[in-house]
Amino acid sequence: MREKLKHPRGYVPVILLVLLGLAPLILPDSSYEQSVLIACMLLAIMASGWNLISGLAGYVSLGHGVYLGIGMYTGAVLSKAWDIEPMYLMPLGAVTTAIVAIGVGAIVLRTRSHSFVIITIAVLWTFQLLAQVAKPITGGADGIVIPPPPWARDLGNLPYFYLFFTVLILTILLAWFVMNSRLGAGLVAIRNDEGKAASIGINTTLYKITAYALSAIPFGVAGVLYGQYLSFVNPLGAFGILTSVILVLAALIGGRGTLWGPVIGGFIIALANEFATVSAGGVSARVLIMGIVLILTVMFLPAGLLPSISAAIRKRRSKSQTVKFIDQSSIAKSRTEVDTRAIQSRSLGTVGSSEMILEVQNLVKSFGGVHAVDGVSLGIERGSITGLIGPNGSGKTTLFNCMTGTFSPNSGKVLLDGVEITKDRVWTRAHEGLGRTFQITRLFKSMTVLDNLVAPLEKTSVKQMVAGRYAGDEVDRAREILGFMGLQEFEKQNAAALSFGQQKLVELAQVLMLRPSIILLDEPASGINPTLIEKLANVIRRLNEAGTTVLIVEHNIPLVLSLCSQVHVLAAGQVLTSGTPEEIRNDPLVIEAYLGPDHLLEVPIV
Amino acid sequence: MQIVQVLAYGILLGGIYALLASGVTLIFGVLDVVNVAQGAFLVFSALFTWQIWDTVGIEPLLLIPVMGVLMGTIGWAIYRGMLVRVVPQGPGMTVLLMFGVALTMEGILNIVFGNKFKSVTPDYFTSSVKLGDIVLPMPQLISGVLAIVVLGGIYAYLRFSWAGRALRASSQNRDGAALIGISHKKAAGFAFAIGAATAGVGGVLLAIMYPIFPATHYEWIARLLGVVVLGGFGSIPGAVIAALLLGTMESFASTFVPQWAPLFFYGTILLILVFRPNGIMGSKTREDVA
Repeated sequence: MREKLKHPRGYVPVILLVLLGLAPLILPDSSYEQSVLIACMLLAIMASGWNLISGLAGYVSLGHGVYLGIGMYTGAVLSKAWDIEPMYLMPLGAVTTAIVAIGVGAIVLRTRSHSFVIITIAVLWTFQLLAQVAKPITGGADGIVIPPPPWARDLGNLPYFYLFFTVLILTILLAWFVMNSRLGAGLVAIRNDEGKAASIGINTTLYKITAYALSAIPFGVAGVLYGQYLSFVNPLGAFGILTSVILVLAALIGGRGTLWGPVIGGFIIALANEFATVSAGGVSARVLIMGIVLILTVMFLPAGLLPSISAAIRKRRSKSQTVKFIDQSSIAKSRTEVDTRAIQSRSLGTVGSSEMILEVQNLVKSFGGVHAVDGVSLGIERGSITGLIGPNGSGKTTLFNCMTGTFSPNSGKVLLDGVEITKDRVWTRAHEGLGRTFQITRLFKSMTVLDNLVAPLEKTSVKQMVAGRYAGDEVDRAREILGFMGLQEFEKQNAAALSFGQQKLVELAQVLMLRPSIILLDEPASGINPTLIEKLANVIRRLNEAGTTVLIVEHNIPLVLSLCSQVHVLAAGQVLTSGTPEEIRNDPLVIEAYLGPDHLLEVPIV
Repeated sequence: MQIVQVLAYGILLGGIYALLASGVTLIFGVLDVVNVAQGAFLVFSALFTWQIWDTVGIEPLLLIPVMGVLMGTIGWAIYRGMLVRVVPQGPGMTVLLMFGVALTMEGILNIVFGNKFKSVTPDYFTSSVKLGDIVLPMPQLISGVLAIVVLGGIYAYLRFSWAGRALRASSQNRDGAALIGISHKKAAGFAFAIGAATAGVGGVLLAIMYPIFPATHYEWIARLLGVVVLGGFGSIPGAVIAALLLGTMESFASTFVPQWAPLFFYGTILLILVFRPNGIMGSKTREDVA
């Protein structure tokens, strides 16, 4: 952000905002123009607020106008009850919407993608109905009339103009703050891949509800003001679906996920709306025009104006810049001198209460009638590299998912360091020192390698959520770990640009940021070339020397047998046998169930 | 006895909801698209039924196949012309596109038909049928029964015909189906056409039951989505169960606590979703290898 501001282009929106603030001075006696600008600012406020949950976290809300309505009713009802000017209640509008949003968010954020979109509309309708039914408080369908403002008549809309202007500035500051905080980074991670975000310690529930509540607050503040501005509040006006759709259109056309896109989009759409109503034949034409604009935007400008423009500029400029070529062999050579503190496990030096760092007891997990894991008990020794092998469908990954909390088992226990964690959430386990990688890598593809590495969180705290994205020593540690893996050259690359094998290494580096005491690797060697497998084996050995326990699920038997000190074999959801690599290699049961009689012919590659 | 009456009424209502919601859930199952324009399709069909009935005086029920084919064709054209390009951008964008379609249709209907309630009132409109102690209004009875018959037909077609199997195959595993020669684009266009056709049929049934004006499409899509979310997206049996549940509940609520009836509708949905975020018949799928 700071870099962007240094660029002359970064000042353009700020200058436009200053001009907007001066507009009434430039155009005196312009009550109509002021009312149009107020409509623009209101839409910009709403689109920016919406952007926090729907643009950043990717949870598209189609009923966010509900919070404008709640703000309007807060102002109308309470100003009548307490006999004060509604605009003094603007801070209270923030409080009521935040409270409602936390309650509603706790329910609706349990659903995802399609269901979430639908549920947000249902919430809007529910509140519309509530406002109609709760007649003693809301005046029912007739609504509430709000007395005219206290200032002199000839001031017209001017005070409203500056009040809306203030709310707009505050909303933009809020959006800027969120986007540059850890919270914002976490939300983008959630948009990319929510399950993965949880696995690296992001408390996704808390993050989503926080973003949802923050996104509602500008609506609540603006709503109190807007109710007084209209001098009238009724259920259909306050909770209309069209407002919610138009604000989404505004954010969309400007550019979701950007700071200025929703603001600019708000002005564009409000002006188009005004034009349609005044010059093109009223309300029917307005609905038709908004419909057509929405179709065209989705079909031809899905990323929005701002991102499309900056992509075009980048494309033009990139002709003068060459893409940096990175030598493959440089990854194979990792730096020898590494600050080992960077890769140190948190459990190093502390004597655990248990011999087994991770233990499962009588674990059962079934899907319908299929017992994927059927009464498994096993322990992972502290400080070991342990292998988990078995044929496809033997329950390895399901067992993994029960250990990490992605699935909750039907029965049985999971213990970390002797403490039961069966009911802990995925991110809590990450905080407690359990890290995992995925069979098919799940990096955040829209982020750079470095951003991927600073995303993991070792704990959940408010202080951390509001901290800057690159605050603390995370960046230094991330660079240290990248160096240890030989990946320092890739720091600024987008994760999606890396080869699959490189992505596997980056994912491991990402997990190391959690300082895990045990790492679960799900088929780390599948789909990567032999050079990288060798490199990976070295990394795993060195991590283990630094004190980290490793559990590997893998089909590359030579790799498992050469790395591990202990191997468990699963078959049909049960532990077939456990032992040292030597015992496993020669176990007739294992040979029959999994390895096949000719496995000894294979030459170990490491 | 009132209880039985209310229950029977609720089942008829649920049957209509089931037909209408099955179109939405079928489209979702095959295309992964929430068709929020289904309500606009319904109102479109209902208003055209009114126009033809008003001009020609034809028995409205005879228009069922006509409106089915008309809406099916419109639906197919919308899929091939617009939706197919937007699907790769994910669920949020397809919902917005279909919302754009709904608004455009509403705007057109507003201009053509004006913002006034229209009712189709054939001569049986005010008559009713007595079965023992139960009295059922004729339009509700006809619509409810026809809805259940049409829905049964669609279900049998999906279940037993080759095309139906192809649709189900494509909805369960798009790439696998493509490997054995089922073009997803064709299957999706067909599914969207059938889904839109249910709205065409449903529009005729609604027209003889309720007064219609363009903006009522919001009210209808709200109910349909409620049914689909509650039943679990993409599951036709789920939609039928949810439709019968909500229809019966609405019938009871509007008899005993009329003013709160719509709130019951949404309240139930929100409550059930607290415990089953994926709906009654929805399932949580493995996501780690997606």
